Amino acid sequence: MSECPEVVAVDGIVKDFRPGFGLRTKRVLHGISFRVRQGEIFGFVGPNGAGKTTTLKVLMGLIRPTAGRASIFGRDVGETGARRHVGFLPENPYFYEHLSGREILHFYAKVSGVPARDRRRRVDLLLDWVGLSSAAEARIRTYSKGMQQRVGIAQALVHDPQVVFLDEPMSGLDPIGRKEIRDLILRLRSEGKTVFMNTHILTDVEMLCDRVAILVGGRIRYEGSPHEVLEGSERETDLVVDRLDPETAALLEQRGATLRGQGSRFEIRVAEKAVQEVLGLLVESRAEVLSVTPHRASLEQLFLSTVEGSR
Amino acid sequence: MSAGVVIAIAHNTVREAVRNKILYALLFFAVLMIGSGAVVSELSYVENQRILQDVGLAAIRLFGVAIAIFIGIQLVYREVDRRTVYTILSKPISRAEFLLGKFAGLTLTIWMQMVLMGAAFAAVSLAAGAPLGWPHLAFGLLIGAELALVVALSTLFSAFTTPMLAAFFTTGTWVLGQLTRELRDIGAASHVPSLQLATDAAFRVLPDLQSFDLATEAAHLLPVTASDLMLPLIYGLGYTTLVLIAAVAIFERRDFR
Repeated sequence: MSECPEVVAVDGIVKDFRPGFGLRTKRVLHGISFRVRQGEIFGFVGPNGAGKTTTLKVLMGLIRPTAGRASIFGRDVGETGARRHVGFLPENPYFYEHLSGREILHFYAKVSGVPARDRRRRVDLLLDWVGLSSAAEARIRTYSKGMQQRVGIAQALVHDPQVVFLDEPMSGLDPIGRKEIRDLILRLRSEGKTVFMNTHILTDVEMLCDRVAILVGGRIRYEGSPHEVLEGSERETDLVVDRLDPETAALLEQRGATLRGQGSRFEIRVAEKAVQEVLGLLVESRAEVLSVTPHRASLEQLFLSTVEGSR
Repeated sequence: MSAGVVIAIAHNTVREAVRNKILYALLFFAVLMIGSGAVVSELSYVENQRILQDVGLAAIRLFGVAIAIFIGIQLVYREVDRRTVYTILSKPISRAEFLLGKFAGLTLTIWMQMVLMGAAFAAVSLAAGAPLGWPHLAFGLLIGAELALVVALSTLFSAFTTPMLAAFFTTGTWVLGQLTRELRDIGAASHVPSLQLATDAAFRVLPDLQSFDLATEAAHLLPVTASDLMLPLIYGLGYTTLVLIAAVAIFERRDFR
């Protein structure tokens, strides 16, 4: 991948906001720098409030950086032309409610410079892609959240951009919708497009991203392969158990499990490597295992361990 | 600057306004007010037709200004509040194109409303046997220019403040714009140099909206010369352009958080 040309270049971006009317400012981005290369799916990950959306807004020209420079295809993001080959899906997108799905896509196609002769074909194709052909004539105000998200994806792609920026694209979608969006993102990569994705969902990062940058507190803490980070993270499993006797509970705690609960029903958290042994103990004691849910440490924990590990 | 983009945004703005029911309610009241001129004129023994037209022309102007302010102040705010601005401005369009498109769309909407109010006024006048002529047309053209200026002012204020404050600033500027000549005359008559300076500065800076008012000429069918029409039109065009340049300059610097 390293030989691929750079699509996005961010160098030392600083952003200060003024919270009120006073002179005091709050620094949201502390001189961040990273690169996105052509044809890759780049995950921009971090906990809420890390500055992911602010970075994306800087790249879209919606916010002016206090210092630093960002460019797309070599053009400064402050230039209108920098957005010619760019598609953008904001988090929880909103659209003109008085328009139908078809009308809104025609409007975006027009302002994006799609030639008049190609508009109808392009809009029909995108409506089909995102599964909105049958609802194309209905007003946006009648659309569900999931349908609005699909319109958002369609408008981002309406002018066949070379790079697509997605801010939490799975937000508000049901499992089927999430899978469809994942498939769409993979399809974009297979067509040679570059995808920049803001997300805090580790599963998506693991399944989709070629490279990631981890943003914590307005600073880039890691940039590189997501697998190196994720494989280093400690996996844990939650078990919900009924009819747990005190002796077995004491044994589990001796083996490092954390127990929460009252009466005979408990939620037990154990390290992934100890799951088999714990399950054996539970079966032996005739406790009823209601659920077993493997999970990773939270993003914050993962980021903190990443940062600690890098010191 | 792409004319196609400005036209696309203007077209969308007109379409949004045409599908807005509140606008129809305002238009209904405007037509009702114009029609009420016929009732009011019946209460007078003299100059019934002049009273009918006075009420009608005043209604067109006041409702026109009210609609211009009502829609204009929400121009930018709604786009930001509903976050539609994120997807629009992420397209390869400049903020100037966006703002000019919105301005053009709103101005066209208000002119369409004026044509409807004018048609209602003409129908009421003809029904009452009141004369119509060139001064009425000149009145309409100048009110059109004044309303474009009011939309530009509300665009300017809505580019950096809330709808409430934008309404306050726009209405205040419109009211002061009706009084700049009187203010200047008061200042001149006061013989106080500082007051003269202040009122003269206000006259030069604030829009002279009285120059757009040909209601008296229209109601009395007084002669209206080409310069009576052209000079205010040129003045309005220049002032509107300056206000829009200021609005774009402010809008360009704005962060959409």
